[in-house]
Amino acid sequence: MKFSLVEFSIARPKWVLAAAALLTLLFLTQFPKIRTDTNPKHMLPETSDVRVWNDKVDKTFALYEDTIVVGVENPSGVLNVDTLGRIARITDAVLGLEGVASRDVNGFTTITNVTAEDGTLKVGPLMAAAPKTQDEVEALRKALFGNSLFVDRVISKDGKTTAIYVPLERGANGAEIADRIRAIVAKEKGPERYYVAGDPVARDTFGAEMFKLMALFSPIAGMIMFAAIQLMFRNLALSAAMMGVSMVAIIWSIGLLIGAGFPVHIMSSMAPVFLMAIATDSIHIFNEFYFRYREGGDKLAAIRQTMAAVSRPVRFTALATAAGFAVLLFMNIVPVQVFGGLIAFGTVVLRLLSFSFIPAVLTFVNEDKLRKTAGGEDVAADPVARLLGGIGAHGARHPGLVVAIAVAAILVSVWGTSKIHVNNNLVAWFKPGSEIRVADDAINQALGGTSLGYLVIDGKADDFIKRPETMRWLEGLQRELEKLPVVGKTFSVADYVKRINRVLHDDDPKFDVVPDTQDGIGQYLFLFSMSAKPADLNNVVDPAFRQANLWVQMKTWDADAMRQVIAAKDGYQKAHPLPVKAEPAGIAWFNLVWNDEVLGDLVLGFSLALVVVLVILAIDFRSLKWALIAYVPLLLTILMIYGVVGFVGKDFDMPLSVMSTLSLGMAVDFAIHFVSRFRQRRAEVGADGTANGRLASNMETVAESLAWTAARPGKGIMRNALLFAAAFSVMMAAPLTPYMAVGAFIVSMMLISALLTLWLLPALVMLGRRFLIEEK
Amino acid sequence: MLKRWLPAMAVLTALLPMSVLAMTGEEVMKKAQAAFLYPGKDFKARVTMKLIAKDGGERVRELVMLRKNFGAPGGEQKYFMVFFKPADVKDMSFMTYKYPAKDDDRWMFIPAVNMVKRIAAQDKRSSFVGSDFTYEDVSGRDIEDDSHAIEREEKVGGRDCYVVKSTPKAGDADFGHKLTWVDKASFLPLREDQFDRKGAAYKLFTADEVAVVKTHPTVIRRTMKNQQTGHRTEAVYANSDYEVGIEDSLFSERFLRQPPRKWLD
Repeated sequence: MKFSLVEFSIARPKWVLAAAALLTLLFLTQFPKIRTDTNPKHMLPETSDVRVWNDKVDKTFALYEDTIVVGVENPSGVLNVDTLGRIARITDAVLGLEGVASRDVNGFTTITNVTAEDGTLKVGPLMAAAPKTQDEVEALRKALFGNSLFVDRVISKDGKTTAIYVPLERGANGAEIADRIRAIVAKEKGPERYYVAGDPVARDTFGAEMFKLMALFSPIAGMIMFAAIQLMFRNLALSAAMMGVSMVAIIWSIGLLIGAGFPVHIMSSMAPVFLMAIATDSIHIFNEFYFRYREGGDKLAAIRQTMAAVSRPVRFTALATAAGFAVLLFMNIVPVQVFGGLIAFGTVVLRLLSFSFIPAVLTFVNEDKLRKTAGGEDVAADPVARLLGGIGAHGARHPGLVVAIAVAAILVSVWGTSKIHVNNNLVAWFKPGSEIRVADDAINQALGGTSLGYLVIDGKADDFIKRPETMRWLEGLQRELEKLPVVGKTFSVADYVKRINRVLHDDDPKFDVVPDTQDGIGQYLFLFSMSAKPADLNNVVDPAFRQANLWVQMKTWDADAMRQVIAAKDGYQKAHPLPVKAEPAGIAWFNLVWNDEVLGDLVLGFSLALVVVLVILAIDFRSLKWALIAYVPLLLTILMIYGVVGFVGKDFDMPLSVMSTLSLGMAVDFAIHFVSRFRQRRAEVGADGTANGRLASNMETVAESLAWTAARPGKGIMRNALLFAAAFSVMMAAPLTPYMAVGAFIVSMMLISALLTLWLLPALVMLGRRFLIEEK
Repeated sequence: MLKRWLPAMAVLTALLPMSVLAMTGEEVMKKAQAAFLYPGKDFKARVTMKLIAKDGGERVRELVMLRKNFGAPGGEQKYFMVFFKPADVKDMSFMTYKYPAKDDDRWMFIPAVNMVKRIAAQDKRSSFVGSDFTYEDVSGRDIEDDSHAIEREEKVGGRDCYVVKSTPKAGDADFGHKLTWVDKASFLPLREDQFDRKGAAYKLFTADEVAVVKTHPTVIRRTMKNQQTGHRTEAVYANSDYEVGIEDSLFSERFLRQPPRKWLD
């Protein structure tokens, strides 16, 4: 069927090209419907336990999914008439922004304060209006530092930084609101510095960057590849054909993605570059075509011979690549599944085009030009081919040495791999000097932290939380958690109770404790609820007082911070038994779950890919032995990269984990080409007695065949690897670290695995030739 | 001169209800205030509030509410409340002196520490006992704080109503504007739609049951629903009664600590 497709394409090239153009236009019509989704929560399905639980917690405690934190810093202190005036104006402007949950914005002018003045209990905004005199400023200072609920939350210990917490309505765009807040603070002249931070800012800015990268880097990667191909084949029609194939595949795949209603996510935004790189597998067709054309001189015959020679490896490499990506469909992380399906589809499209579009284009290639450039393609004369042949020959001549080096590399890599640290930190996805990192660092240093987790305490009986022993237990847990360096601030309903107790007793610090009776606690809270904002109490207890919500502000988005909080909680619970369930929740908890899910997915995906690729190799080679041999360079490549990741100390995050699964399917291509072509060669020029040397004039020894394979299909492999690496090297210049990491990963993977295929594989074949080669 | 216009005017008056020609938005709201919050010399009811969360979770507030007028409608009033539920706030009591165009005075008795505490009333828009009603929803908002205009006329539950749009003159309210459906006959507000400052639907008040008590039409069942959170509060005013003879001396710290038995049933 494949051959008939090739024949058809040669016979009716214009039809093929027109049909491809038409279908491409059809897929292109879907593009205007494009949506992006950068919410990390969508990494896991809506029905996942952690999302269901977090939604429930959000509802029970009237919490907002997203909060932007606006930091205001004045090196000489924020407590002065001017700065406070600015803060009041800024807060007022923020309250009027669309998408801001105005009623629950917490800053100096809106946060609830409980005080007693002249025997009157006051529950109301801390600073209803900006102070106009120094006395008023001093009063504010006293109110701030006299209330533990404020220190590290809205005022730093040194008095130089304050924060406005801006919760967002469901579905509001964090990046847009952050931009408007930046515009608001830009209007203020003064010595203050402003920081806009928080999960929604990071996430939505990431989304915006992603779009930019997709629009900018895909064409750049394309141009680099185009230039590289042009350099290799010096034929515009061929280079254009190659690019055309990848463009068509990209447009079809992305069009299908958008048309099917999926949003573009971080993974799928990388799809164009991936498809471009995978398209370079067609290089083997051109590579072989040039050699064949030079040998024969008849264009159509050369096309037929080329397609016959490379069709099997090209088909199987495509199958391996598609399978490698299709494995992702079994992952738990939604965008990864979508990405896997997307690329698998694109790969199939690419292969279809390889057997139709490319032969069709080849028929149009001008023969004069072809003769000129193809003249260079002679294994004996070509310096590159000679060098590659030399590498293969070296491997074949010194198999013991090469294998010993490989074993040493394995040992070192395993050591490095053991140091790998799995972590996903959204803020760390931005470069250190970026506005988001700077803002996040500044606020984390001065205040309690931008990463928020909850511990939900469930007493399983109404009013359980009002019991004095529960309150004291909560308080003790808070003090325990605050001992952790990653925890900046905690607060709970116990803080309100203690505050009211103290205020009712003339601000006597002796009464900054939980009262002794449940009625007392109930009455304090009732009193509080009669004056405070509804959210103040709703955020920390459920209406029936069965559950309490303990807020934990952390100074880092590292998943490990929440793990430490949970461990500390478990330890405290063991030391201070109370019949309550204490369960983690919030975005920090989600990040931890997701993080572990990434690790689980990695193990699962990698094992699946290992099996699938091995099966495909075995089917292709009709030999398990050959499959296993072809496997070795691949495994060693990945192990070496893991080793480097471990040694460098780079967080092993989702993009990297996905890469490692994919890399199997992509890097195996080289081994497939090498082994297939080597065995073809043996079938053509091999001898019965493998080790006996020449039996006829055109016969080769195994070592010679290996050198030939390294030189001729090897040149295709090297070209493929270089093109692949060229395309992905663009990503190393991205402003977002996951793109950089993916770029570096693929570049090194391609180059290492190409080299190992040409060097280590011959050595292994030589060592195992008695088992591998059963020539008649 | 006038005679020439008479037929035209007759047609006009036939087409439009008399009262539109006669009343402004402010007058309607004044009459509504008098009918809703000021009838009788004094008033007593046992109020049960059900605070109902979106998911159906319920909490109960139960109290006796005593009110006495110290002037004409719109003038000074005093409120006295004693709580029964929830259990831990039993015997807490609460007293408000309400003045026109001035902050209220509020006191609360906290039995657990045997203490009467004066409470600053800086925000009349804060929640009443944790319900969806604000203090102003319970005891009224100064007419002068808003500008009022009759938007249209409409029926609510078969009763002819004025629809009055009220917009706060200052920006201190939690709502941007509200629409009140005032019954033309009783002048009771039958429905009130509050919109937030961004113009989105915010809180919805409905008078669910009206009964005539000693000649005064009285809203004995009402609901306030927060349409943004889905939380709502249903309040039942049981044993509503007027002219019950509340003494001036009731409104004192002494009785706040020890409310007279006769008012507690």
